[in-house]
Amino acid sequence: MEAIIYICLGFMLICSFLVVRIKSMLKSAVALAAASAALGIIMYVLGSAWAALIEISVCSGLVTVIFISAISLSNTDKKELQKLYEDKKRMAYLPVVLIIGGIIFIFVALSTDSLLPQAVSVAQEIDNFREVLWNNRQADIWAQAIVIIAGAIAVTVLFKEKDTI
Amino acid sequence: MRVIDYITVSFLVVPIIIILINNLLSKHIAKRISFYLVGAAAVLQIAASVADFFLLPYYKLHEYKFTLLWNIDNPDSEYFAVNSLSLVILFCIGFVTFISVLIAKHTIDRKKVSYVNLLMTLIFGMNGMLIVTDLFSLYVFLEIVGISSFVLIALFKSETGLEGSFKYLVMSSLASIFVLTGLAFVFMHVGSLQYENISKYILSGHGSSRLYLMYAGMILLIAGFATKSGAVPFHSWLPDAHQSADTAISVLLSGIVIKVAGVYGLIILSRLFDGIPAVNLTLLVMGTVSIIVGALLALKQDHFKRIVAYSSVSQVGYMLLGVGAGGTLGLLGAVTHIFNHATFKCTLFSNAAALHEQTGTLDINDMGGLHEKMPVTGFSSVTAFLSTAGIPPFSGFWSKLLIVMALWMNDFKVFAGIALFSSIFTASYFLRLQKKVFFGKVPNKYEYVKEIGGSIKYAEIFLTIIMIAVGLAFPLALLYLKGRGIL
Repeated sequence: MEAIIYICLGFMLICSFLVVRIKSMLKSAVALAAASAALGIIMYVLGSAWAALIEISVCSGLVTVIFISAISLSNTDKKELQKLYEDKKRMAYLPVVLIIGGIIFIFVALSTDSLLPQAVSVAQEIDNFREVLWNNRQADIWAQAIVIIAGAIAVTVLFKEKDTI
Repeated sequence: MRVIDYITVSFLVVPIIIILINNLLSKHIAKRISFYLVGAAAVLQIAASVADFFLLPYYKLHEYKFTLLWNIDNPDSEYFAVNSLSLVILFCIGFVTFISVLIAKHTIDRKKVSYVNLLMTLIFGMNGMLIVTDLFSLYVFLEIVGISSFVLIALFKSETGLEGSFKYLVMSSLASIFVLTGLAFVFMHVGSLQYENISKYILSGHGSSRLYLMYAGMILLIAGFATKSGAVPFHSWLPDAHQSADTAISVLLSGIVIKVAGVYGLIILSRLFDGIPAVNLTLLVMGTVSIIVGALLALKQDHFKRIVAYSSVSQVGYMLLGVGAGGTLGLLGAVTHIFNHATFKCTLFSNAAALHEQTGTLDINDMGGLHEKMPVTGFSSVTAFLSTAGIPPFSGFWSKLLIVMALWMNDFKVFAGIALFSSIFTASYFLRLQKKVFFGKVPNKYEYVKEIGGSIKYAEIFLTIIMIAVGLAFPLALLYLKGRGIL
């Protein structure tokens, strides 16, 4: 089991690195989807089936579809866009520095805290999830409902052609 | 059920009802009455917060716990709660919303229904942030505030509006990631995100041990909320967003959103992590830098709204100093400054709306001598300036005095000195603004400019009266708080 986690972690790191380094936006979006799929697998293996489900369906499914459709709809010439960002090259190694810094931090933190959470069985997880969501976290459900309403209003405001009212 | 039950639930129910009414009515009717609906909601919120403030001691409660249609007796269940602190800020939300809608009557003539919908989701989000008792719920409500604000800034799809909104979106997403990661780290240690449990955990002495993840969590949470509050060095989005939005929306952003989404979050953190000196010191340093850098940047600007926006950065610094000073006095100073800042920022943005409406520009180099032509606008602007600079007897004097006293009493004497000294910076950028806009010779093209009429004029008069009245009556308020045992 542990081997799967390490393989997925490595795969995720490589994909994340590619996301910021690849010049083609389309390939970058695909790499992002792959990275979040790997994260989904890690979550499932660690026993968090619900989180894995949401991660894979929303992040690597829905978001990728939105990205790809937005890229294909935009009319900007890719080469022009790249030229525009040519002078930003001096920041190109920032992601590498951040990734290395993050890995060092995680090792330091885990070696001092040793707080890796214990894996819970999937069935128990689902039961807990239901109970927590409907009994204890109802404030969040109200808030989520309003988030969805706000999102719907946002889409109608920003994408409606005629704006008379 | 008691009276307080009905009144307190209204903070969440009224915005939802207004959204429903606004969208169920036919478009023509909605267009005509939507502003009145918001006005009614704002007045209800003001009344409810005042009523609750006086009902709490009547029921002998320190904080009132309630839920929205679920059973509070479930073990480990979340609940909402209001206390004196959140009620004061809830009052400020109602107050600023009322002023915003008065300005909107002049400046917004299309997309009224969308403006009202978004404003109500924004208010729901802010009210929610103030009454939750769990850091994760705080984050979810923070997101509602974020989404509503982005769209409100970009409401009219102008180029500058979209740019300002995009900058806010980018910075705000970063802030969200910081907050969420910070929450995860804190959760790993504490095992719960309810305020009570975190406080207990810190008080039991675990917080002071060398736990890297806990510290990383605190740093991320502070950085996230500081970004939302526009404090230096996280201020880059604020001037663009405030300048490019419609004035009715700038007034909301500057008057209340940065305080609820940012400063209130930091207040909560400082209370949860009470007893960890690094947190207070961080807030104090950030506050001092914000005051000085915000004021220096304001000195260099030529756009009326941009100066006022940078002034917000500087004033948020004072609030952070109050929060960082700790203790009841510091907190009282910060909360009073939140209210006072709301009044003078509302006044200055009303002035901006009046000037833009009558002269068509907000470049202060183009203006001059408008005090003669627009006496009400000029007088209210001077009052707001004096109040912001902390000149007695205006309201701003008292809140700054409380903050400086709190700093002095808690042995942060250097910060107290800087806070006092920085009032000179505030005076300098506002003197420059007043001189260029309201004094001197009137340019020929503004020979026939007249005073603004209607709701903006009433807003200016109303706000001026409040600034003077609060300044004069403040000692009485302090006596009342002392009588209630808060001070």
